[in-house]
Amino acid sequence: MATLDFVGVEKSYGAVRVLHRVDLSVADGEFLVLVGPSGCGKSTLLRSIAGLEEISSGELRIDGKRVNDMAPADRDVAMVFQSYALYPHMTVRENMAFALRLKKHPETDSRVAEAAKMLGLEPLLERLPKELSGGQRQRVAMGRAIVRRPKVFLFDEPLSNLDAALRQQLRVEIKRLQTTLRTTTVYVTHDQIEAMTLADRIVVLQGGVLQQVGSPDELYNDPTNRFVAGFIGSPTMNFLEKIEAGVVIGVRPNDVVLGAGPLRGQVEVVERMGFESMVHLRVGGEALVVRVEGEPPRGEVQLRLERFYRFDPATGARLR
Amino acid sequence: MLLLTTAWAGEITLWHAYRAEEKLAIEQACTVWQTTHPGTTVLPVAVPYEGLASKLEAAIPRGNGPDLFIFAHERVAAWSEGGIILPVEALDGAMGSATTALTWERKTWGWPLSVKSLALFYNKKLVETPPGNEAALWELVGRPKPEGQFWLAYEVASAYHAAPWMHGYGGGVFSGEKVLLDRPENVLALAMIQKLASEVVPQEPTGALVTQLFNEGRAAMVINGPWMLGEISGVDYGVASLPVLSSGLPAAPYLSVEAAFLSRDSTEARELGAWLAGPEAAKIRQDVGRQIVARDDVESDDPVLNAFRKQATVAVPMPVRSEMGQTWEPLARSLRRLTRGAVTPEVAAAEAQSTYAILSRPVPPAAAPWPYVGLLVAVLVAAAVWFIRELRSVKIRPWSFAYLYVAPAFGAMTLLTVLPFVVGATISLFEQEGQGWTFVGISNFLDILLARDFPLSSPLSFVSTLAVTILWTVSNVILHVGIGVALAMMLREPWVKMRGAFRALLILPWAIPSYITALIWKNLFHQQFGAINALLKLLGAEPVSWFANFSTAFAANLTTNTWLGFPFMMVVTLGALQSIPRDLEEAAEVDGAGAWDRFRHVTLPLLKPALLPAVILGSVWTFNMFNIIYLVSGGEPDGTTDVLVSQAYRWAFTRGHRYGYAAAYAVIIFGVLVIYGRLANRLAGKKVV
Repeated sequence: MATLDFVGVEKSYGAVRVLHRVDLSVADGEFLVLVGPSGCGKSTLLRSIAGLEEISSGELRIDGKRVNDMAPADRDVAMVFQSYALYPHMTVRENMAFALRLKKHPETDSRVAEAAKMLGLEPLLERLPKELSGGQRQRVAMGRAIVRRPKVFLFDEPLSNLDAALRQQLRVEIKRLQTTLRTTTVYVTHDQIEAMTLADRIVVLQGGVLQQVGSPDELYNDPTNRFVAGFIGSPTMNFLEKIEAGVVIGVRPNDVVLGAGPLRGQVEVVERMGFESMVHLRVGGEALVVRVEGEPPRGEVQLRLERFYRFDPATGARLR
Repeated sequence: MLLLTTAWAGEITLWHAYRAEEKLAIEQACTVWQTTHPGTTVLPVAVPYEGLASKLEAAIPRGNGPDLFIFAHERVAAWSEGGIILPVEALDGAMGSATTALTWERKTWGWPLSVKSLALFYNKKLVETPPGNEAALWELVGRPKPEGQFWLAYEVASAYHAAPWMHGYGGGVFSGEKVLLDRPENVLALAMIQKLASEVVPQEPTGALVTQLFNEGRAAMVINGPWMLGEISGVDYGVASLPVLSSGLPAAPYLSVEAAFLSRDSTEARELGAWLAGPEAAKIRQDVGRQIVARDDVESDDPVLNAFRKQATVAVPMPVRSEMGQTWEPLARSLRRLTRGAVTPEVAAAEAQSTYAILSRPVPPAAAPWPYVGLLVAVLVAAAVWFIRELRSVKIRPWSFAYLYVAPAFGAMTLLTVLPFVVGATISLFEQEGQGWTFVGISNFLDILLARDFPLSSPLSFVSTLAVTILWTVSNVILHVGIGVALAMMLREPWVKMRGAFRALLILPWAIPSYITALIWKNLFHQQFGAINALLKLLGAEPVSWFANFSTAFAANLTTNTWLGFPFMMVVTLGALQSIPRDLEEAAEVDGAGAWDRFRHVTLPLLKPALLPAVILGSVWTFNMFNIIYLVSGGEPDGTTDVLVSQAYRWAFTRGHRYGYAAAYAVIIFGVLVIYGRLANRLAGKKVV
């Protein structure tokens, strides 16, 4: 069992504060995804769990034990780096065995064999990283983490260097692994699809501030503010400011019904995607994207908003 | 046409190496002579001293030399035998000792101009009357003195400075025509030197130190030559002859005589040469050129010049026999041991003689060159065949421009590296004897490798020198790499402020010429005045005589060379570290590796590709590091810290010009390094050199 607790964690570089009072608990075996735009502090938060960044104040606990001043080596966490950070002078086998070898762990060989089997790396064990493809390297990086059976897995944008097809395949693999191993996992990404598909719970960060923590469904259906609403969900939510004075209306492209209704729009562009199409409308001078199944309309259409959210234009907070 | 010939015949060329006022004086003297010889033009040519001897030896046999030249008398024997100089009539009124110096095989070989010898300088404030005899000397130096003051300072361990005492006790290097360093008179002199060294003079005195002490008023008397005159400042001093010793003979230093030599005979040249050494020109040279003239009948108003002249009249001309060249090192070696108190005067004298016997051993017998010529021809033919075959298989045409581009570098390499190597390798098969060369085959190599002339354990032997060289190289490279890598790792740490400044500071030792660093460290290690012993004293430790033991002398060399060597490794490492992503170390950190494990398993293996060539390069540099060995320990004690290159240097230049033997050393060094390069390649598993 390994839980993870952030209590009022802050991090500053000189005068610049990159994390603001983060309070967060991760349950044992939970798959937590940190998501947010570049520079939002998600990587810093992850690296502070590993001990690669020191936190400026607050408390970080692994398994209920304060680890603020504990060296990375003693925290018993494993990390998969964006660059994979495989040791270039070691074979796949040596890479995976490295951590256990250091501890002279008796099960080193069997654990490596087991992990290699799990990840389909068996034929590659004697190769050097430079002889592997991107996807294979990524698997080795995961293998290196798995072998250790750590308390916590940390993933730092592990799929961002791969092409779309591979990314999708490995995403499934990561999910499968985590389901099998049930190890507490913190996963950083800027890709909200990865966040939605992998996470038990998602943490949305912006400017070093936690915006919302919740299950993918919660975040999708019940965003607490305009930022979360805009960040989660694909295609992204439309924001209309002219329909109701003093309120920003947020509506997802699939919550608009075309054909009849109080609003009127002009079709500007249609993106055909086969089964569905994205229809770009201009409504009262504002852009609105609508997802349509079947044949998209042309010219002028009538429409209504089936489901929408209301936000404060100044603070971005949800108005209920 | 007739006019032209007479004009040419009426010109006398005079080569000299004088500068400043001496040059002025000689030119003035020539002008004066010309007023009485209107038909003749004198052309004095100033030639830099460093190149003068070799220029003369090259030009005169080919008829391109001067009519007259001015040089020291030391080469009279070799030059008279080589036909470089012609005999002349002895000159009336010339100083007797100077004329003796120029006499060889019962002929006189030049007109003596000026003389140089050691004499006693004394600080008039501290010494009223300089000691005239040995008893007075001991009485004076036995008087109480303040701490840090010396009654007498001189280069007590130098063979040149030992000569006055040896001569004063009736000894000397030669007994008749033979070198006899261990005769009883010399032992007496060595006993006196040992007493002076242990009770009177400062420790490890160098020329610079002696001058400094005298200028600071800390040395009441020093023994030095006229070359110190220009360096004295702020001291009211006098010069006197060295004292008469208890033997009844005066302490007699070596005398160097500068003379005009005749190299192309003509009445005018003979006249001019004799006149330059005569009273009228002597007056000019003395008054204008400040020379100590080699005449008895010229008096100066300068008491210093008169004192030096007086000392010269009793001085012993520097022997001109070729054996002399091989006596310096044995004597110096024994003197160093003696003044350290390591041996008694008797043993020191006996050791000097036995070392001389080793160094002066006869040239190996001439070998029949035919087998070697045959071998060479065979090798050349094989090389030619191989080359032609290679040439045929290589298509030159498409790359002809590339060959053109490479040509200048190829030419330069041939001229600067290949040719000297071939010449050196050729010399190694010869040995010099007098002016000629004898082909001796590989006997130089056999002598060196089999240590035929001395036991294996002798510091002179190749095996023990190689062992020291290897120890020297290995310990240096370990320290250079260790410190260099450690500092580079440290400079990368984020908590290090002012990184740029530190980096520049740490590279500085590399940027300073190595001989300057070597000399600075040499002084830091000085037993009496060095900063390191001062520091030890401050910490309450006994001062160390750094160059008296192998281990401390080796450590001094090692410290100096490490100071010089680590910046290179640091720079290489800093560069290589740039290419190692920080991720890797972080990954290892998370993987549970501590700082040392991270370094050992991740950083170091990744530095290896960059470090390995640097290590090989560094070890070759260190292997051949002449400057430090020569300037810091100088091979002390007793040549034990010499490495192969400094050993080779000594054979070539301080042990009687054994060029063939030294060249064989150089070839062997080359061989050792080639083997090392091969081994290193194999160890590295790929080609780096």
